Amino acid sequence: MDTTSPRLRMSLLGVVVAACFIALFARLWYLQVLEAPELAVQATANRTRTVATEAPRGRIFDSKGRVIVDNRTSLVVSIDRNELKKVKDSDDLLARLADVLTENGAPIKISTIEKRLADKKSDQVQAVPIATDVTEEVIHRLSEYAEDFPSVSYERKTVRVYPYGTAASNVLGYTGRITAEILKKIEPGTDPDGVEKTYQPDSIVGMAGIESTYEKELRGTPGIELVQVDFKNRPVGTESYQPPKSGNDIQLHIDIEVQIRAEQALVERLDVLRGTSQRDGTIRGAPAGSVVVLDPRDGGVVALASAPSYDPQEFAAGITQERYNQLQDVNGASALIDRSITGQYAPGSTFKLVTAAAALSNGLIDGNSSIYDDGVYKVGNPAQEFTNAGSIKHGNVNVVRGLTVSSDVYFYWLGDRMDGTTLIQDAATAFGFDKRTGIDLPNESAGYVLTKAEKKALSNKYPDAYPNGDWYTGDNVQLAIGQNVIVVTPLQLARAYAAFANGGTVYQPHVVWKILKPNSTTTDPSDVLRVIEPVVTGTVTLPPDVRGPIASGLEGVTSGLGTAASAFVGFDQQAFPVVGKTGTAQVDGKADTSLFASYGPALSPKWVVTAVMEESGFGAEASGEVTRRVYEVIANQALTGAGSAVNGSMD
Amino acid sequence: MLPQSISSRASKLSRRDPTAPLRHIDPVLIGCTVILSILGVIAVYSATRGPGPDYSKSYLYKQATFMLIGAGAMIFCSVVDYRKLHDWAWAFYGITTALLVLVISPLGSEVNGAKSWFSLGPFQMQPAEFSKLSLIGVLAFLLSEFRGDIDIRRLVALLATAALPMALIMLQPDLGETLILLAIMMTIMLVGGLPTKYIAVLTIVGVVGVVGALNSPLLADYQRNRLTAFVNPSDTSNSAVYNIEQSQQAIANGGITGQGLFDGPQTKLGFVPEQQTDFIFTAVAEQFGFIGASMMLFLYGLLCYRIWRIAQVAKDSFGTYLCAGVLAMFAFSAFENVGMAMGIMPVTGIPLLLISAGGSATITALAGLGLVLNVYMRRFQ
Repeated sequence: MDTTSPRLRMSLLGVVVAACFIALFARLWYLQVLEAPELAVQATANRTRTVATEAPRGRIFDSKGRVIVDNRTSLVVSIDRNELKKVKDSDDLLARLADVLTENGAPIKISTIEKRLADKKSDQVQAVPIATDVTEEVIHRLSEYAEDFPSVSYERKTVRVYPYGTAASNVLGYTGRITAEILKKIEPGTDPDGVEKTYQPDSIVGMAGIESTYEKELRGTPGIELVQVDFKNRPVGTESYQPPKSGNDIQLHIDIEVQIRAEQALVERLDVLRGTSQRDGTIRGAPAGSVVVLDPRDGGVVALASAPSYDPQEFAAGITQERYNQLQDVNGASALIDRSITGQYAPGSTFKLVTAAAALSNGLIDGNSSIYDDGVYKVGNPAQEFTNAGSIKHGNVNVVRGLTVSSDVYFYWLGDRMDGTTLIQDAATAFGFDKRTGIDLPNESAGYVLTKAEKKALSNKYPDAYPNGDWYTGDNVQLAIGQNVIVVTPLQLARAYAAFANGGTVYQPHVVWKILKPNSTTTDPSDVLRVIEPVVTGTVTLPPDVRGPIASGLEGVTSGLGTAASAFVGFDQQAFPVVGKTGTAQVDGKADTSLFASYGPALSPKWVVTAVMEESGFGAEASGEVTRRVYEVIANQALTGAGSAVNGSMD
Repeated sequence: MLPQSISSRASKLSRRDPTAPLRHIDPVLIGCTVILSILGVIAVYSATRGPGPDYSKSYLYKQATFMLIGAGAMIFCSVVDYRKLHDWAWAFYGITTALLVLVISPLGSEVNGAKSWFSLGPFQMQPAEFSKLSLIGVLAFLLSEFRGDIDIRRLVALLATAALPMALIMLQPDLGETLILLAIMMTIMLVGGLPTKYIAVLTIVGVVGVVGALNSPLLADYQRNRLTAFVNPSDTSNSAVYNIEQSQQAIANGGITGQGLFDGPQTKLGFVPEQQTDFIFTAVAEQFGFIGASMMLFLYGLLCYRIWRIAQVAKDSFGTYLCAGVLAMFAFSAFENVGMAMGIMPVTGIPLLLISAGGSATITALAGLGLVLNVYMRRFQ
């Protein structure tokens, strides 16, 4: 065969060319028919970028309808990096911009601008914020000489504003740019129209307090713009746009006036006491404390004060390690803990309410059962001695007088009689101790009330911290006066007194009262989306023969021979009778924890006020005084200043 | 329709002479050429009008002008008997080779790092395009003279004739055009009866040469990257890979029916580079979809089939070799250009003849088709 025959060679050429075209057809079929759906998705992702605009967050009102968290417009100057690349003398431009900002009240260095531009975390399509909260003059200058500032833009953003400053900051929390950690675990939720409220890497999110627990209500639906970009990532048009929708407003049970008074009274009293000596000579450190005000009728949280406190805005802006360390040691206490819900303290004599209720309802005593209090109570053989504070002798004491004058001996006696049972622990649990209250705030502590079995288990588990796992009669005797095997949070204490005040209903405390429509008024009922109904978590059975003697005992505390009488001198108890109990819990080597738990007015209780102050001395002289000053606002009475560091009655 | 005077004269001629050329034009070839040319002008306009209103029409007008000039060249190349052109082959070769020397001298202008163009006012001339046609001419001339009797001396003469313009084009540098000349040379020598042993040796030398060139400092890094991008499509450090990815996404975005004329977002927004020339196929495929793109390929294939068929029915071997050369020019350009856009061929800047923007390429392509038509019309003379 002639392999050079033109016919053969032409056929060969034809086969090669035909093969080429068949290959092209096959590939075209593959790309446009088989793989098209997948590749087209890639293509769309390629040429669009999502630009999210945060919706204004919902506002927060107090119970009286006052706005306590609002939004305001902040002027932000930004630079579009893609546009900046096209500017010839970009260094010159940045210098001019720095001048304009500095001359008009927003001083900034060129190096700072460059640093912000270099930040890889900021979105590549959106302009990079260079200066926030600039003055209107800056905007005037920039728009007047717009041609001198290519790539520079400004916008009005909504940011949080607090008309009452740092008041209730521990309750309200703060917002900030979402962190990678939160972004990973947060559920976006959907708005009423079913639109998913997706988060972007630069979304604003509630970081603490109500801002965090009610994030889904407060956060509106961000506006989502699908921007078409060209191959250099420059925006050229909009594929779709969904405008932002404001978040729901929220109304709290908090009364900002009471809240501010509680914070003020607490801080001022701590300042007065700090460095003075209590009766046994121990210097009062008075570093920290808290005040809780509840509505006993539904568990609404009227005020929740904690000292020392901090300005949450510092965190929103990004805090330095140095400042963070400072906040962890303010007069020896960390400012970062909300002591009202996280702090755990021995309740001291304020716990006698529970011991009395346990003894009365189990028929161990009645209102008249009395013993002779000679200041000392002896247990066991050889006898171990438990004394009253200052070894004071109260003489003949029944349960009523025992509460009023705070006879430890009487309650040692009750504890001794209930040894071998869990009657006190059971009563404590019924009043809501030993478990979290379920308040709508993060980081709540549970406290504990140990039983014999629990003490043993604890010792087995942590032999170093609890070397002795045996239960002694002395343990029960001390439990009866709220010492040794019990710690409670101030909120739990307030809730227990609220349950007693309302006749036995234990509520889950709630900060939030109502969810309102966006941009609502608090006066129009049609603005209410829903009311957070009170949640009953338990009941305490308080028949008249139980409640009566205890109420009588507590009613005497703020007057006459009562342990808190000194704190309420001058307070009009005719108009607003306050019922309460002092507590002084001993802490090894330090001044006592001062407690006061109370409610008022006596016959139709609407408020429960408790104060707990660390290393501050007896109940009346620290917490009693703070509580009285809170009642001055509640009862609309003459306001007094912080008293001097006198020694109050022992309890 | 031809003007009345010409057509009446043609009919008179043909009545007298059954072998008269105008009785034997190829309507299929002409039809394919006209449709592809119109499609090309539309494709160039859609790829260059820009994203917004106030569309740019300069490419549209230029390309339409080139088509008209090209139509003139096609008519010229078909009416003058190709056997007379036979005598002009060396002269044409000499002129285009001289232009290739001039273009790498300071007279030529440099665009994108290659000295491939003469600037003539608003137009640019690319002599390498014309040298394709002149090489077809001289190789067809030589091989028809050799009549299949090719020894090593004649082989060297053939190779030297092709190597001169190829070397000059590599100096610009323009790898794509060089490869087309190589394809033309191989095709004409194959059809021209080069002994099989030489073909085998040349093939081996070619393979070794390609592998060697890829691993030698002869090629710039960007050239090597482009040539190997289709082999390593996941190498994201290679910018050619990005271009191929974008181009394939744009083609896929066309789907079966296409996004519609002027409505291909991938090409409109500039994700595909050089879309009026090297990547023109993506613009066609995204806008007209599988239906439109495969129709275009079909027309192209039909055109190639007609050229192949004409090569077979040519009256003499010179005519056959001319057609084989033009076939190589069209088929290789199409395979490389379209194959590159779809990621199955290396990235080299070769125009898709009749479709891509460009004056020299368009005129050369139409002139080449004129030659083919010439051979067909005179197959009985």
